[in-house]
Amino acid sequence: MSPSRDDQLSPPERDALAGEYVLGLLDGAELAAVERRLDTDRDFAASVERWRRHFAALDATAPPITPPADLWSRIEAGLAGLIQPSASASVTAPRPATARTSRFADWWNSLFVWRGAAFAGALATVLLAVGLFGALDRAKRQPLMVAVLLTDSNIAAAVVNTFADGRVEMLPLQSIDVPAGKALEIWTLWDRAVGPRSVGLIDRARSTPLRLDNLPLGRDQLFEITLEPASGSPTGRPTGPIIAKGTTSQRL
Amino acid sequence: MATEVKQPGEHGEIEAALLACAAGDKSALRRIYEAESPRMLGVAQRLLKRRALAEEAVQDAFVLIFRHAGRFDPERGAGLSWIYAILRNRALSILRDEKRTEASDTPIAEETASEEDDPETVMAKLSDASALRACLETLSPQRRGLVLLAFVQGLTHGEIAGRLKLPLGTVKSWIRRSLLSLKECLG
Repeated sequence: MSPSRDDQLSPPERDALAGEYVLGLLDGAELAAVERRLDTDRDFAASVERWRRHFAALDATAPPITPPADLWSRIEAGLAGLIQPSASASVTAPRPATARTSRFADWWNSLFVWRGAAFAGALATVLLAVGLFGALDRAKRQPLMVAVLLTDSNIAAAVVNTFADGRVEMLPLQSIDVPAGKALEIWTLWDRAVGPRSVGLIDRARSTPLRLDNLPLGRDQLFEITLEPASGSPTGRPTGPIIAKGTTSQRL
Repeated sequence: MATEVKQPGEHGEIEAALLACAAGDKSALRRIYEAESPRMLGVAQRLLKRRALAEEAVQDAFVLIFRHAGRFDPERGAGLSWIYAILRNRALSILRDEKRTEASDTPIAEETASEEDDPETVMAKLSDASALRACLETLSPQRRGLVLLAFVQGLTHGEIAGRLKLPLGTVKSWIRRSLLSLKECLG
């Protein structure tokens, strides 16, 4: 993190920084700072645009490659949001089985049966709650695994704790600069073949539960925070600069 | 280089297509795709070396172009450079992602670039007419090589230092100075 670059730049500094950005040399917090500057510093943005125009001559030397026939349909699918893992679409509640026989109907309609069932259910719930309370409370307090997310310059920016009951939480350790219109998105990656999955989106650095519902969770699993548009990454994969990242380790 | 003078309100085809994209016209995106996707795939391939990743970068770039077309401001820059900036940003972030999580034995950064991506070959392909070529020629071949490696192959300071066996600080300051003399030459 280099806040020193956030102030006024002399014209040569500005042009050199803009050039480094256009060459693609910047990464991590430096990249995030430059992208913020692009929105606020018109001279800097103009310098970036000039470099882009000049270096466009180099892109023009790339040998063209005919795209595969399905690339356009993949783009269309991306536009339709089909690529994002769609939340399960089953909203319709299952319908109760219709009574076929009169005996079944009698039973189904019997107030006595349902009262009894409700009472038994309630009792079981109370017993379970009492029994589980102690265990849950212990499990709640002790994380099973911890990931410390470090910035590019090795500053611990956040921790991710995972608990025996399946909860996963992220606690920030540093305030993180989030420009207007942007948000912090939290990702996890357990298998490169699957790619990173979004597990949380927050408008500013604050403690947040992460949604890993059906995702695997294990040791050496990568968690990272990236800067994304306020509504989250439009592609379903990280698009912005990485703010911090780290992998899970088991508690002793 | 003579800066192109553009009348306000006078835009090329790409700019017009971007404005139509901003209004939700998918056929305008298709026009950009027809015109630019082969070159875009070529640029992504040079950066990412692997075809599947290059296609992913182009695919993501088009989705981003369409979604963000409303932010494109023709008064502030050319449509083509806006599109390629999105592509390059996306490709570079995939590249950094892959390097970070790479499990394979041949890291992407060390995967051999084709000879066509060699700095001097790229230099030779630069149009004689381009101001960039004339100005790159004023740099020593080694310093020119650093700038070209960064842009064409997406190498970071550290990777360039490793590949050319130079200290990191030297690479950083050489690139900085090369950029400043380029800037002076390009005007």
